[in-house]
Amino acid sequence: MKQLVSAPALFVEAGICLVVGLLLAFLYAPVDASSMGFSQKIFFYHVPIAETALVAFGVAFVAAIAYLRTQDLKWDRLGLVCVRLGLLFSLLVMVTGMIWGKAAWGVWWAWEPRLTTFLLVCFLYIAYLVLRSVVEEEQRRATYAAVFAIIAFIDVPMTFFATRFLPEGLHPVVITTSGTGMEGSMLVSFLVSMLGMTLLLVAFIRRDLTVEDLKDRVADLKNTIGG
Amino acid sequence: MSIEEGAKFVAAAYAVILAVLVLYYFMSARRVNTLKRDVELLEQEVQRRPAGAGEAGGE
Repeated sequence: MKQLVSAPALFVEAGICLVVGLLLAFLYAPVDASSMGFSQKIFFYHVPIAETALVAFGVAFVAAIAYLRTQDLKWDRLGLVCVRLGLLFSLLVMVTGMIWGKAAWGVWWAWEPRLTTFLLVCFLYIAYLVLRSVVEEEQRRATYAAVFAIIAFIDVPMTFFATRFLPEGLHPVVITTSGTGMEGSMLVSFLVSMLGMTLLLVAFIRRDLTVEDLKDRVADLKNTIGG
Repeated sequence: MSIEEGAKFVAAAYAVILAVLVLYYFMSARRVNTLKRDVELLEQEVQRRPAGAGEAGGE
């Protein structure tokens, strides 16, 4: 069991799921019957990436609360890693969303609720990284970052619910309380891709935490030699 | 929209996703290897230092 959740194994599992998801999306799921047509295939990675980005910010939110409760720097490190990965996945969401927008709506960008709130999420978490870079003292930096991460997270559910509460936007709502609106083969392809992206996020979090641990170890050893 | 037109957008989107994710994978793997090597070298230096200091004191 331990081997199955090691970072290398997670990368392999994620890779398998993503490749299978992609094959299912192109070979098993039918071409969308709506006006989007073949460009709808972008959905099978675009939405899992978006959900994964929001999950990463959610973990950063939980880590921020855990840090403020315990003052343990391991939570600060987890928060930092999750925000960085959340931003990486957000960048992919924005770029693939723009490509899909051009195909479906004929424009690269529209100031509609989902896109605007997602852009705001990106700016907020970029500000989080900027904040971290200007505070030098470790504990103070971690405290400020944790408070900021909690405030920034307020925009995450707003992004998720933007298309549900403000239905006049261009962005479609696929998953609702009454179902997914997808037929069986599309749903299977989507769920496999979703699993793959989630595993990939976990694998990246584990590896990036290793990087942060090693950076601390290098700093400690340099101090030992310097002292 | 025809399948050919749609395929161009789909190919572009998947190319961006795969390029970024694969690049990040290799960059982070390289970072881990570099840092592990740094830790090894620094640990060797830490171990060598007291021995070196002892030799220097004995001379």
